[in-house]
Amino acid sequence: MRSPGSVKREFLRKWLKGLQVYSSSNNEMSILERKKVIKLSADVAMASTRIHSNSKYSSSWSRALMAKASNDASNAPLLSHVLGSDNGVSADRSMISEKDAAKRNLVMMRNKRIKSKKILRRSCSNKIRSLRRKAAHVVDDKGRTSSNIVAKKLVMKRTQVLKRLVPGGELIMDEISLIRETLDYILSLRLQVDVMRHLANASEKLDSM
Amino acid sequence: MESVEALPARSPTGELIGTGFNSQIGDEIQRLISVPPDSGSSFTALLELPANQAMELLIHSSEDAATIAQNPSATIAECRLSPPAPVPIFPSDAALVERASKFSSIMSTDEISRAKLGTVKEEPLDSVSNPNSNSSPAVSNPAVDQNTKSTKRKDREKKGKESNKKSKKPANESSDDGGEKLPYVHVRARRGQATDSHSLAERARREKINARMKLLQELVPGCNKISGTAMVLDEIINHVQSLQRQVEFLSMRLATVNPRVDFDFDTLLATESRSHVDMSFPGMVMPSMWPEGQVHMNREQYQQPWQTDELQQPVWIREEDNSNFITPENSLLSYDSSANSAPLHSNQVKMEM
Repeated sequence: MRSPGSVKREFLRKWLKGLQVYSSSNNEMSILERKKVIKLSADVAMASTRIHSNSKYSSSWSRALMAKASNDASNAPLLSHVLGSDNGVSADRSMISEKDAAKRNLVMMRNKRIKSKKILRRSCSNKIRSLRRKAAHVVDDKGRTSSNIVAKKLVMKRTQVLKRLVPGGELIMDEISLIRETLDYILSLRLQVDVMRHLANASEKLDSM
Repeated sequence: MESVEALPARSPTGELIGTGFNSQIGDEIQRLISVPPDSGSSFTALLELPANQAMELLIHSSEDAATIAQNPSATIAECRLSPPAPVPIFPSDAALVERASKFSSIMSTDEISRAKLGTVKEEPLDSVSNPNSNSSPAVSNPAVDQNTKSTKRKDREKKGKESNKKSKKPANESSDDGGEKLPYVHVRARRGQATDSHSLAERARREKINARMKLLQELVPGCNKISGTAMVLDEIINHVQSLQRQVEFLSMRLATVNPRVDFDFDTLLATESRSHVDMSFPGMVMPSMWPEGQVHMNREQYQQPWQTDELQQPVWIREEDNSNFITPENSLLSYDSSANSAPLHSNQVKMEM
Protein backbone atom coordinates (compact mmCIF):
# COMPACT_ATOMS: atom_id res chain seq x y z
CA MET A 1 0.00 0.00 0.00
CA ARG A 2 1.50 3.28 -1.08
CA SER A 3 0.88 6.67 0.40
CA PRO A 4 -1.09 9.11 -1.75
CA GLY A 5 1.75 11.58 -1.58
CA SER A 6 4.19 9.28 -3.28
CA VAL A 7 1.71 8.42 -6.02
CA LYS A 8 1.11 12.09 -6.61
CA ARG A 9 4.79 12.78 -6.75
CA GLU A 10 5.36 10.01 -9.21
CA PHE A 11 2.54 11.24 -11.38
CA LEU A 12 3.85 14.78 -11.29
CA ARG A 13 7.35 13.68 -12.18
CA LYS A 14 6.17 11.64 -15.13
CA TRP A 15 3.86 14.33 -16.31
CA LEU A 16 6.56 16.99 -16.21
CA LYS A 17 8.86 14.64 -18.09
CA GLY A 18 6.22 14.26 -20.75
CA LEU A 19 5.63 17.97 -20.98
CA GLN A 20 9.32 18.59 -21.29
CA VAL A 21 9.40 16.66 -24.55
CA TYR A 22 7.00 19.06 -26.15
CA SER A 23 8.34 22.23 -24.69
CA SER A 24 11.78 21.32 -25.97
CA SER A 25 10.71 20.02 -29.36
CA ASN A 26 8.63 22.84 -30.81
CA ASN A 27 7.71 26.06 -29.14
CA GLU A 28 5.21 27.27 -31.71
CA MET A 29 1.87 25.72 -30.89
CA SER A 30 -1.67 26.94 -30.80
CA ILE A 31 -3.57 26.90 -27.54
CA LEU A 32 -5.66 23.94 -28.56
CA GLU A 33 -2.62 21.94 -29.51
CA ARG A 34 -0.99 22.79 -26.24
CA LYS A 35 -4.09 21.76 -24.40
CA LYS A 36 -4.25 18.47 -26.21
CA VAL A 37 -0.63 17.80 -25.47
CA ILE A 38 -1.00 18.66 -21.81
CA LYS A 39 -4.01 16.45 -21.43
CA LEU A 40 -2.46 13.57 -23.28
CA SER A 41 0.71 13.71 -21.28
CA ALA A 42 -1.24 13.90 -18.06
CA ASP A 43 -3.33 10.90 -19.05
CA VAL A 44 -0.34 8.87 -20.08
CA ALA A 45 1.50 9.77 -16.91
CA MET A 46 -1.50 8.78 -14.83
CA ALA A 47 -1.90 5.50 -16.63
CA SER A 48 1.76 4.69 -16.31
CA THR A 49 1.67 5.36 -12.59
CA ARG A 50 -1.24 2.99 -12.22
CA ILE A 51 0.38 0.31 -14.32
CA HIS A 52 3.55 0.71 -12.39
CA SER A 53 1.99 0.53 -8.99
CA ASN A 54 -0.31 -2.33 -9.82
CA SER A 55 1.95 -5.22 -10.44
CA LYS A 56 -0.30 -7.53 -8.45
CA TYR A 57 -3.66 -6.76 -9.91
CA SER A 58 -3.52 -4.73 -13.03
CA SER A 59 -6.06 -2.09 -13.80
CA SER A 60 -7.14 -2.54 -17.36
CA TRP A 61 -8.21 1.05 -17.91
CA SER A 62 -4.62 2.25 -17.70
CA ARG A 63 -3.53 -0.44 -20.13
CA ALA A 64 -6.29 0.55 -22.50
CA LEU A 65 -5.29 4.19 -22.26
CA MET A 66 -1.68 3.34 -23.00
CA ALA A 67 -2.63 1.15 -25.91
CA LYS A 68 -4.81 3.88 -27.34
CA ALA A 69 -2.05 6.43 -26.95
CA SER A 70 0.52 4.15 -28.52
CA ASN A 71 -1.67 3.59 -31.56
CA ASP A 72 -0.86 7.11 -32.65
CA ALA A 73 2.67 7.13 -33.98
CA SER A 74 3.18 10.81 -33.18
CA ASN A 75 2.93 10.03 -29.48
CA ALA A 76 5.87 7.67 -29.53
CA PRO A 77 8.46 10.14 -28.19
CA LEU A 78 6.15 11.17 -25.38
CA LEU A 79 5.43 7.60 -24.40
CA SER A 80 9.02 6.54 -24.46
CA HIS A 81 9.97 9.59 -22.48
CA VAL A 82 7.31 9.18 -19.84
CA LEU A 83 7.74 5.47 -19.53
CA GLY A 84 11.48 5.42 -19.75
CA SER A 85 11.99 8.13 -17.21
CA ASP A 86 12.53 5.73 -14.38
CA ASN A 87 15.74 3.81 -14.49
CA GLY A 88 17.27 4.27 -17.89
CA VAL A 89 17.22 1.64 -20.55
CA SER A 90 16.20 -1.45 -18.66
CA ALA A 91 13.09 0.12 -17.21
CA ASP A 92 12.36 1.50 -20.64
CA ARG A 93 12.58 -1.90 -22.22
CA SER A 94 10.48 -3.55 -19.55
CA MET A 95 7.89 -0.84 -19.86
CA ILE A 96 7.77 -1.16 -23.61
CA SER A 97 7.39 -4.89 -23.29
CA GLU A 98 4.62 -4.23 -20.87
CA LYS A 99 3.04 -1.97 -23.42
CA ASP A 100 3.25 -4.77 -25.96
CA ALA A 101 1.73 -7.06 -23.44
CA ALA A 102 -1.09 -4.60 -22.98
CA LYS A 103 -1.65 -4.51 -26.70
CA ARG A 104 -1.59 -8.26 -26.94
CA ASN A 105 -3.93 -8.40 -24.02
CA LEU A 106 -6.34 -6.12 -25.82
CA VAL A 107 -6.25 -8.22 -28.97
CA MET A 108 -6.75 -11.36 -26.96
CA MET A 109 -9.63 -9.83 -25.10
CA ARG A 110 -11.17 -8.81 -28.37
CA ASN A 111 -10.90 -12.32 -29.75
CA LYS A 112 -12.29 -13.77 -26.60
CA ARG A 113 -15.07 -11.27 -26.73
CA ILE A 114 -16.08 -12.25 -30.23
CA LYS A 115 -16.06 -15.87 -29.20
CA SER A 116 -18.00 -15.26 -26.06
CA LYS A 117 -20.38 -12.94 -27.81
CA LYS A 118 -21.88 -15.82 -29.70
CA ILE A 119 -22.40 -17.80 -26.56
CA LEU A 120 -23.79 -14.77 -24.85
CA ARG A 121 -26.18 -14.03 -27.65
CA ARG A 122 -27.44 -17.55 -27.66
CA SER A 123 -27.99 -17.68 -23.93
CA CYS A 124 -29.40 -14.17 -23.89
CA SER A 125 -31.94 -14.93 -26.55
CA ASN A 126 -32.96 -17.99 -24.59
CA LYS A 127 -33.23 -15.95 -21.45
CA ILE A 128 -35.16 -13.15 -23.09
CA ARG A 129 -37.53 -15.60 -24.62
CA SER A 130 -38.19 -17.25 -21.29
CA LEU A 131 -38.46 -13.85 -19.65
CA ARG A 132 -41.02 -12.74 -22.16
CA ARG A 133 -42.96 -15.90 -21.68
CA LYS A 134 -42.79 -15.41 -17.95
CA ALA A 135 -43.73 -11.76 -18.24
CA ALA A 136 -46.70 -12.51 -20.42
CA HIS A 137 -47.63 -15.12 -17.93
CA VAL A 138 -47.25 -13.15 -14.75
CA VAL A 139 -48.20 -9.62 -15.69
CA ASP A 140 -51.82 -10.67 -15.69
CA ASP A 141 -52.03 -11.08 -11.93
CA LYS A 142 -49.06 -8.91 -10.88
CA GLY A 143 -47.60 -5.91 -12.64
CA ARG A 144 -44.24 -6.39 -11.00
CA THR A 145 -42.39 -8.38 -13.59
CA SER A 146 -42.78 -5.84 -16.33
CA SER A 147 -41.46 -3.11 -14.06
CA ASN A 148 -38.59 -5.41 -13.21
CA ILE A 149 -37.78 -5.70 -16.85
CA VAL A 150 -37.93 -1.94 -17.27
CA ALA A 151 -35.56 -1.44 -14.34
CA LYS A 152 -33.18 -4.00 -15.76
CA LYS A 153 -33.21 -2.19 -19.06
CA LEU A 154 -32.44 1.11 -17.36
CA VAL A 155 -29.51 -0.41 -15.53
CA MET A 156 -28.26 -2.02 -18.74
CA LYS A 157 -28.35 1.30 -20.56
CA ARG A 158 -26.41 3.04 -17.84
CA THR A 159 -23.90 0.25 -17.70
CA GLN A 160 -23.32 0.73 -21.41
CA VAL A 161 -22.72 4.44 -20.88
CA LEU A 162 -20.34 3.73 -18.04
CA LYS A 163 -18.46 1.26 -20.20
CA ARG A 164 -18.01 3.93 -22.80
CA LEU A 165 -16.74 6.39 -20.21
CA VAL A 166 -14.12 4.21 -18.59
CA PRO A 167 -11.25 3.62 -21.00
CA GLY A 168 -11.16 0.01 -22.08
CA GLY A 169 -14.56 -0.49 -20.54
CA GLU A 170 -16.09 -1.89 -23.71
CA LEU A 171 -13.92 -4.92 -23.34
CA ILE A 172 -14.96 -5.68 -19.80
CA MET A 173 -17.67 -8.23 -19.79
CA ASP A 174 -18.59 -8.79 -16.16
CA GLU A 175 -19.96 -6.13 -13.90
CA ILE A 176 -17.75 -6.82 -10.93
CA SER A 177 -14.56 -5.92 -12.70
CA LEU A 178 -16.31 -3.01 -14.38
CA ILE A 179 -17.19 -1.61 -10.99
CA ARG A 180 -13.67 -2.18 -9.74
CA GLU A 181 -12.23 -0.45 -12.76
CA THR A 182 -14.60 2.44 -12.27
CA LEU A 183 -13.53 2.80 -8.66
CA ASP A 184 -9.89 2.79 -9.61
CA TYR A 185 -10.48 5.19 -12.46
CA ILE A 186 -12.42 7.65 -10.33
CA LEU A 187 -9.71 7.68 -7.70
CA SER A 188 -6.93 8.30 -10.15
CA LEU A 189 -8.94 10.93 -11.96
CA ARG A 190 -9.36 12.70 -8.67
CA LEU A 191 -5.66 12.51 -8.02
CA GLN A 192 -4.96 13.84 -11.48
CA VAL A 193 -7.39 16.71 -11.06
CA ASP A 194 -5.82 17.53 -7.74
CA VAL A 195 -2.28 17.72 -9.00
CA MET A 196 -3.31 19.60 -12.11
CA ARG A 197 -5.22 22.13 -10.09
CA HIS A 198 -2.22 22.67 -7.87
CA LEU A 199 0.00 23.23 -10.84
CA ALA A 200 -2.48 25.56 -12.51
CA ASN A 201 -2.86 27.59 -9.36
CA ALA A 202 0.87 27.81 -8.93
CA SER A 203 1.57 28.87 -12.48
CA GLU A 204 -1.20 31.44 -12.44
CA LYS A 205 0.20 32.88 -9.29
CA LEU A 206 3.62 33.00 -10.81
CA ASP A 207 2.09 34.86 -13.71
CA SER A 208 0.35 37.41 -11.58
CA MET A 209 3.45 38.12 -9.61
CA MET B 1 -18.67 -14.74 18.22
CA GLU B 2 -17.52 -11.22 17.71
CA SER B 3 -20.74 -10.11 16.25
CA VAL B 4 -22.66 -11.56 19.18
CA GLU B 5 -20.57 -9.58 21.60
CA ALA B 6 -20.90 -6.49 19.51
CA LEU B 7 -24.65 -6.83 19.39
CA PRO B 8 -25.61 -5.09 22.67
CA ALA B 9 -23.45 -2.14 21.70
CA ARG B 10 -25.15 -2.02 18.40
CA SER B 11 -28.76 -2.19 19.43
CA PRO B 12 -29.12 1.17 21.25
CA THR B 13 -27.50 3.07 18.43
CA GLY B 14 -29.66 1.24 16.00
CA GLU B 15 -32.70 2.35 17.88
CA LEU B 16 -31.39 5.86 18.06
CA ILE B 17 -30.90 6.10 14.38
CA GLY B 18 -33.99 4.11 13.66
CA THR B 19 -36.24 6.47 15.59
CA GLY B 20 -34.72 9.39 13.76
CA PHE B 21 -33.37 10.76 17.03
CA ASN B 22 -30.84 12.98 15.42
CA SER B 23 -30.73 12.99 11.70
CA GLN B 24 -27.99 15.57 11.67
CA ILE B 25 -25.55 13.24 13.27
CA GLY B 26 -26.60 10.60 10.84
CA ASP B 27 -25.81 12.98 8.05
CA GLU B 28 -22.46 13.65 9.55
CA ILE B 29 -21.71 9.98 9.75
CA GLN B 30 -22.65 9.64 6.15
CA ARG B 31 -20.41 12.51 5.23
CA LEU B 32 -17.56 11.15 7.27
CA ILE B 33 -17.85 7.82 5.59
CA SER B 34 -18.26 9.40 2.23
CA VAL B 35 -14.98 11.25 2.56
CA PRO B 36 -12.55 8.75 1.10
CA PRO B 37 -9.27 8.05 2.89
CA ASP B 38 -7.76 10.34 0.26
CA SER B 39 -5.50 7.84 -1.36
CA GLY B 40 -5.38 6.38 -4.78
CA SER B 41 -4.04 3.02 -3.85
CA SER B 42 -5.27 2.37 -0.36
CA PHE B 43 -8.91 2.57 -1.28
CA THR B 44 -8.60 0.15 -4.10
CA ALA B 45 -6.61 -2.04 -1.80
CA LEU B 46 -9.70 -2.11 0.36
CA LEU B 47 -11.51 -3.84 -2.42
CA GLU B 48 -9.37 -6.89 -1.98
CA LEU B 49 -10.44 -7.30 1.61
CA PRO B 50 -13.64 -8.95 2.71
CA ALA B 51 -16.35 -6.36 2.88
CA ASN B 52 -16.72 -6.13 6.64
CA GLN B 53 -13.02 -5.63 7.16
CA ALA B 54 -13.04 -3.00 4.48
CA MET B 55 -15.90 -1.28 6.24
CA GLU B 56 -13.97 -1.40 9.46
CA LEU B 57 -10.97 0.16 7.79
CA LEU B 58 -13.15 2.83 6.29
CA ILE B 59 -14.69 3.62 9.60
CA HIS B 60 -11.36 3.70 11.33
CA SER B 61 -9.91 6.08 8.82
CA SER B 62 -12.90 8.34 9.11
CA GLU B 63 -12.54 8.17 12.86
CA ASP B 64 -8.96 9.26 12.48
CA ALA B 65 -10.09 12.12 10.33
CA ALA B 66 -12.61 13.07 12.99
CA THR B 67 -10.09 13.03 15.80
CA ILE B 68 -7.60 14.94 13.74
CA ALA B 69 -10.09 17.58 12.80
CA GLN B 70 -10.92 17.95 16.50
CA ASN B 71 -14.43 18.77 15.59
CA PRO B 72 -16.56 18.17 18.69
CA SER B 73 -19.65 17.14 16.81
CA ALA B 74 -17.55 14.90 14.65
CA THR B 75 -16.18 13.15 17.71
CA ILE B 76 -19.71 12.61 18.89
CA ALA B 77 -20.47 11.10 15.55
CA GLU B 78 -17.43 8.93 15.94
CA CYS B 79 -18.77 7.53 19.18
CA ARG B 80 -21.97 6.66 17.43
CA LEU B 81 -20.11 5.21 14.55
CA SER B 82 -19.52 1.83 16.08
CA PRO B 83 -22.06 -0.08 13.99
CA PRO B 84 -20.60 -0.81 10.60
CA ALA B 85 -23.64 0.43 8.78
CA PRO B 86 -26.68 2.49 9.68
CA VAL B 87 -29.21 0.04 11.00
CA PRO B 88 -32.76 1.06 10.28
CA ILE B 89 -33.51 -2.60 9.54
CA PHE B 90 -32.79 -3.69 13.03
CA PRO B 91 -36.13 -3.44 14.84
CA SER B 92 -37.93 -5.72 12.42
CA ASP B 93 -35.09 -8.16 12.78
CA ALA B 94 -35.37 -7.96 16.55
CA ALA B 95 -38.89 -9.27 16.24
CA LEU B 96 -37.52 -12.10 14.25
CA VAL B 97 -34.99 -12.75 16.97
CA GLU B 98 -37.71 -12.97 19.57
CA ARG B 99 -39.68 -15.37 17.51
CA ALA B 100 -36.84 -17.74 16.99
CA SER B 101 -35.54 -20.03 19.69
CA LYS B 102 -32.50 -19.18 21.73
CA PHE B 103 -29.88 -20.90 19.69
CA SER B 104 -31.32 -19.93 16.39
CA SER B 105 -31.50 -16.37 17.61
CA ILE B 106 -27.76 -16.33 17.79
CA MET B 107 -27.58 -17.75 14.35
CA SER B 108 -30.03 -15.26 13.01
CA THR B 109 -28.15 -12.35 14.50
CA ASP B 110 -25.14 -13.66 12.70
CA GLU B 111 -27.19 -13.72 9.62
CA ILE B 112 -28.45 -10.21 10.18
CA SER B 113 -25.00 -8.84 10.63
CA ARG B 114 -23.93 -10.62 7.51
CA ALA B 115 -26.85 -9.23 5.59
CA LYS B 116 -26.07 -5.78 6.87
CA LEU B 117 -22.49 -6.02 5.80
CA GLY B 118 -23.59 -7.04 2.41
CA THR B 119 -21.45 -10.07 1.70
CA VAL B 120 -19.03 -12.32 3.35
CA LYS B 121 -18.52 -12.91 7.00
CA GLU B 122 -15.31 -13.35 8.89
CA GLU B 123 -13.36 -16.51 9.44
CA PRO B 124 -14.11 -17.04 13.16
CA LEU B 125 -17.84 -16.84 12.55
CA ASP B 126 -17.36 -19.34 9.84
CA SER B 127 -15.67 -21.81 12.14
CA VAL B 128 -18.46 -21.32 14.63
CA SER B 129 -21.33 -21.90 12.31
CA ASN B 130 -19.99 -24.73 10.26
CA PRO B 131 -19.77 -27.43 12.93
CA ASN B 132 -23.35 -26.65 13.83
CA SER B 133 -24.53 -27.10 10.34
CA ASN B 134 -22.64 -30.35 10.14
CA SER B 135 -23.85 -31.83 13.41
CA SER B 136 -27.48 -30.77 13.38
CA PRO B 137 -28.57 -29.35 10.09
CA ALA B 138 -32.14 -28.84 11.21
CA VAL B 139 -31.19 -26.29 13.88
CA SER B 140 -28.78 -24.21 11.93
CA ASN B 141 -31.29 -22.53 9.74
CA PRO B 142 -33.80 -20.42 11.64
CA ALA B 143 -36.25 -20.79 8.85
CA VAL B 144 -36.38 -24.51 9.55
CA ASP B 145 -37.59 -23.92 13.09
CA GLN B 146 -40.67 -22.23 11.84
CA ASN B 147 -41.54 -25.00 9.47
CA THR B 148 -44.41 -27.32 10.08
CA LYS B 149 -43.79 -31.00 10.42
CA SER B 150 -45.10 -31.82 7.00
CA THR B 151 -42.54 -29.68 5.27
CA LYS B 152 -39.74 -30.66 7.54
CA ARG B 153 -38.68 -33.69 5.59
CA LYS B 154 -38.55 -31.79 2.38
CA ASP B 155 -36.45 -29.14 4.04
CA ARG B 156 -34.08 -31.68 5.38
CA GLU B 157 -33.64 -32.94 1.89
CA LYS B 158 -32.95 -29.43 0.80
CA LYS B 159 -30.47 -29.15 3.62
CA GLY B 160 -28.70 -32.20 2.41
CA LYS B 161 -28.49 -30.73 -1.02
CA GLU B 162 -27.15 -27.52 0.39
CA SER B 163 -24.48 -29.24 2.40
CA ASN B 164 -23.51 -31.09 -0.72
CA LYS B 165 -23.27 -27.80 -2.43
CA LYS B 166 -21.22 -26.40 0.38
CA SER B 167 -18.74 -29.19 0.12
CA LYS B 168 -18.63 -28.76 -3.58
CA LYS B 169 -18.29 -25.00 -3.50
CA PRO B 170 -14.68 -24.49 -2.35
CA ALA B 171 -13.27 -25.99 -5.51
CA ASN B 172 -15.31 -23.67 -7.70
CA GLU B 173 -14.59 -20.70 -5.54
CA SER B 174 -10.86 -21.13 -5.40
CA SER B 175 -10.77 -21.46 -9.14
CA ASP B 176 -12.68 -18.33 -10.06
CA ASP B 177 -11.77 -16.15 -7.11
CA GLY B 178 -8.21 -15.05 -7.28
CA GLY B 179 -7.85 -12.32 -4.68
CA GLU B 180 -9.98 -13.31 -1.73
CA LYS B 181 -9.65 -16.92 -0.75
CA LEU B 182 -12.54 -18.02 1.34
CA PRO B 183 -13.16 -21.62 2.18
CA TYR B 184 -16.92 -21.35 1.79
CA VAL B 185 -19.41 -19.34 -0.11
CA HIS B 186 -21.86 -17.94 2.36
CA VAL B 187 -24.97 -18.11 0.38
CA ARG B 188 -28.00 -19.35 2.09
CA ALA B 189 -31.29 -19.99 0.44
CA ARG B 190 -34.37 -18.79 2.21
CA ARG B 191 -37.66 -20.55 1.85
CA GLY B 192 -38.86 -20.63 -1.66
CA GLN B 193 -35.55 -19.66 -3.16
CA ALA B 194 -33.85 -21.91 -5.60
CA THR B 195 -30.94 -23.96 -4.36
CA ASP B 196 -29.39 -25.31 -7.50
CA SER B 197 -25.80 -24.36 -8.05
CA HIS B 198 -26.49 -21.86 -10.79
CA SER B 199 -28.80 -19.69 -8.80
CA LEU B 200 -26.55 -19.97 -5.77
CA ALA B 201 -23.61 -18.75 -7.80
CA GLU B 202 -25.78 -16.05 -9.27
CA ARG B 203 -26.78 -14.92 -5.82
CA ALA B 204 -23.16 -14.82 -4.68
CA ARG B 205 -22.27 -12.77 -7.70
CA ARG B 206 -25.10 -10.37 -7.04
CA GLU B 207 -24.02 -9.92 -3.47
CA LYS B 208 -20.49 -9.18 -4.59
CA ILE B 209 -21.76 -6.61 -7.04
CA ASN B 210 -23.88 -5.03 -4.34
CA ALA B 211 -20.89 -4.73 -2.02
CA ARG B 212 -18.82 -3.09 -4.71
CA MET B 213 -21.68 -0.78 -5.55
CA LYS B 214 -21.86 0.21 -1.93
CA LEU B 215 -18.20 1.13 -1.95
CA LEU B 216 -18.72 3.15 -5.10
CA GLN B 217 -21.68 4.83 -3.52
CA GLU B 218 -19.56 5.89 -0.60
CA LEU B 219 -16.87 7.16 -2.90
CA VAL B 220 -19.07 9.34 -5.05
CA PRO B 221 -20.27 12.43 -3.22
CA GLY B 222 -23.98 12.86 -2.79
CA CYS B 223 -24.64 9.27 -3.68
CA ASN B 224 -25.40 7.94 -0.23
CA LYS B 225 -29.05 8.71 -0.02
CA ILE B 226 -30.01 7.43 -3.40
CA SER B 227 -31.45 3.99 -3.63
CA GLY B 228 -31.87 2.07 -6.79
CA THR B 229 -29.09 0.86 -9.02
CA ALA B 230 -30.05 2.99 -11.98
CA MET B 231 -29.96 6.23 -10.02
CA VAL B 232 -26.65 5.33 -8.42
CA LEU B 233 -25.22 4.52 -11.81
CA ASP B 234 -26.49 7.88 -13.02
CA GLU B 235 -24.64 9.62 -10.25
CA ILE B 236 -21.48 7.67 -10.94
CA ILE B 237 -21.64 8.51 -14.62
CA ASN B 238 -22.14 12.15 -13.80
CA HIS B 239 -19.19 12.09 -11.45
CA VAL B 240 -16.86 10.45 -13.93
CA GLN B 241 -17.96 12.84 -16.63
CA SER B 242 -17.43 15.85 -14.43
CA LEU B 243 -13.99 14.61 -13.47
CA GLN B 244 -13.07 14.11 -17.08
CA ARG B 245 -14.40 17.54 -17.93
CA GLN B 246 -12.37 18.95 -15.10
CA VAL B 247 -9.23 17.40 -16.51
CA GLU B 248 -10.04 18.95 -19.87
CA PHE B 249 -10.68 22.28 -18.29
CA LEU B 250 -7.54 22.23 -16.22
CA SER B 251 -5.39 21.32 -19.17
CA MET B 252 -7.01 24.16 -21.06
CA ARG B 253 -6.24 26.46 -18.20
CA LEU B 254 -2.66 25.29 -18.11
CA ALA B 255 -2.42 25.81 -21.84
CA THR B 256 -3.65 29.36 -21.70
CA VAL B 257 -1.18 30.29 -19.00
CA ASN B 258 1.92 32.10 -20.06
CA PRO B 259 4.32 29.85 -21.96
CA ARG B 260 6.76 30.72 -19.25
CA VAL B 261 5.37 27.64 -17.53
CA ASP B 262 7.33 25.47 -19.87
CA PHE B 263 10.50 27.15 -18.84
CA ASP B 264 9.52 26.62 -15.27
CA PHE B 265 9.16 22.98 -16.02
CA ASP B 266 12.58 22.98 -17.56
CA THR B 267 14.17 24.58 -14.57
CA LEU B 268 12.23 22.27 -12.31
CA LEU B 269 13.45 19.24 -14.12
CA ALA B 270 16.96 20.55 -14.19
CA THR B 271 16.94 20.95 -10.45
CA GLU B 272 15.34 17.58 -10.13
CA SER B 273 17.97 15.84 -12.16
CA ARG B 274 20.63 17.53 -10.09
CA SER B 275 19.04 16.55 -6.83
CA HIS B 276 18.28 13.02 -5.80
CA VAL B 277 15.53 11.64 -7.95
CA ASP B 278 12.67 10.72 -5.75
CA MET B 279 12.73 11.87 -2.21
CA SER B 280 14.39 15.26 -2.05
CA PHE B 281 12.67 16.52 -5.17
CA PRO B 282 9.46 17.82 -3.63
CA GLY B 283 11.07 19.34 -0.61
CA MET B 284 13.68 21.18 -2.57
CA VAL B 285 11.86 22.30 -5.61
CA MET B 286 8.25 22.89 -4.83
CA PRO B 287 8.64 25.60 -2.18
CA SER B 288 10.58 27.65 -4.67
CA MET B 289 7.71 27.27 -7.05
CA TRP B 290 5.02 28.15 -4.57
CA PRO B 291 4.83 31.76 -3.49
CA GLU B 292 6.09 32.21 0.00
CA GLY B 293 3.02 33.89 1.44
CA GLN B 294 0.65 31.19 0.50
CA VAL B 295 2.80 28.44 1.85
CA HIS B 296 3.02 30.17 5.16
CA MET B 297 -0.68 30.84 5.21
CA ASN B 298 -1.44 27.24 4.58
CA ARG B 299 1.01 26.13 7.13
CA GLU B 300 -0.45 28.34 9.80
CA GLN B 301 -3.95 27.40 8.88
CA TYR B 302 -3.56 23.71 8.68
CA GLN B 303 -0.66 22.73 10.80
CA GLN B 304 -2.89 22.35 13.80
CA PRO B 305 -5.13 19.57 12.56
CA TRP B 306 -2.42 17.60 10.82
CA GLN B 307 0.16 18.05 13.48
CA THR B 308 -0.25 14.61 14.99
CA ASP B 309 1.18 12.38 12.36
CA GLU B 310 2.55 14.49 9.58
CA LEU B 311 5.34 16.37 11.22
CA GLN B 312 8.13 14.52 9.51
CA GLN B 313 6.74 14.89 6.04
CA PRO B 314 7.92 17.59 3.67
CA VAL B 315 5.84 20.63 2.87
CA TRP B 316 4.64 19.38 -0.45
CA ILE B 317 2.85 16.40 1.00
CA ARG B 318 1.26 18.51 3.66
CA GLU B 319 0.00 20.84 1.00
CA GLU B 320 -1.52 18.01 -0.91
CA ASP B 321 -3.21 16.69 2.14
CA ASN B 322 -4.58 20.13 2.73
CA SER B 323 -6.00 20.18 -0.71
CA ASN B 324 -7.63 16.86 -0.05
CA PHE B 325 -8.95 18.36 3.09
CA ILE B 326 -10.45 21.20 1.15
CA THR B 327 -11.82 19.45 -1.89
CA PRO B 328 -14.99 17.88 -0.55
CA GLU B 329 -16.48 21.31 -0.05
CA ASN B 330 -15.30 22.59 -3.38
CA SER B 331 -16.20 19.53 -5.29
CA LEU B 332 -19.91 19.79 -4.79
CA LEU B 333 -19.90 23.21 -6.34
CA SER B 334 -17.27 22.97 -8.98
CA TYR B 335 -18.23 19.59 -10.31
CA ASP B 336 -21.44 20.96 -11.72
CA SER B 337 -20.13 22.51 -14.86
CA SER B 338 -16.77 23.49 -16.12
CA ALA B 339 -18.01 26.90 -17.17
CA ASN B 340 -19.24 27.52 -13.67
CA SER B 341 -16.00 26.54 -12.06
CA ALA B 342 -13.87 29.29 -13.55
CA PRO B 343 -14.98 32.05 -11.16
CA LEU B 344 -14.89 29.51 -8.38
CA HIS B 345 -11.28 28.76 -9.00
CA SER B 346 -10.33 32.40 -9.05
CA ASN B 347 -12.26 32.80 -5.83
CA GLN B 348 -10.39 29.92 -4.35
CA VAL B 349 -7.10 31.42 -5.39
CA LYS B 350 -8.09 34.67 -3.79
CA MET B 351 -9.11 32.87 -0.67
CA GLU B 352 -5.80 31.15 -0.55
CA MET B 353 -3.97 34.36 -0.99
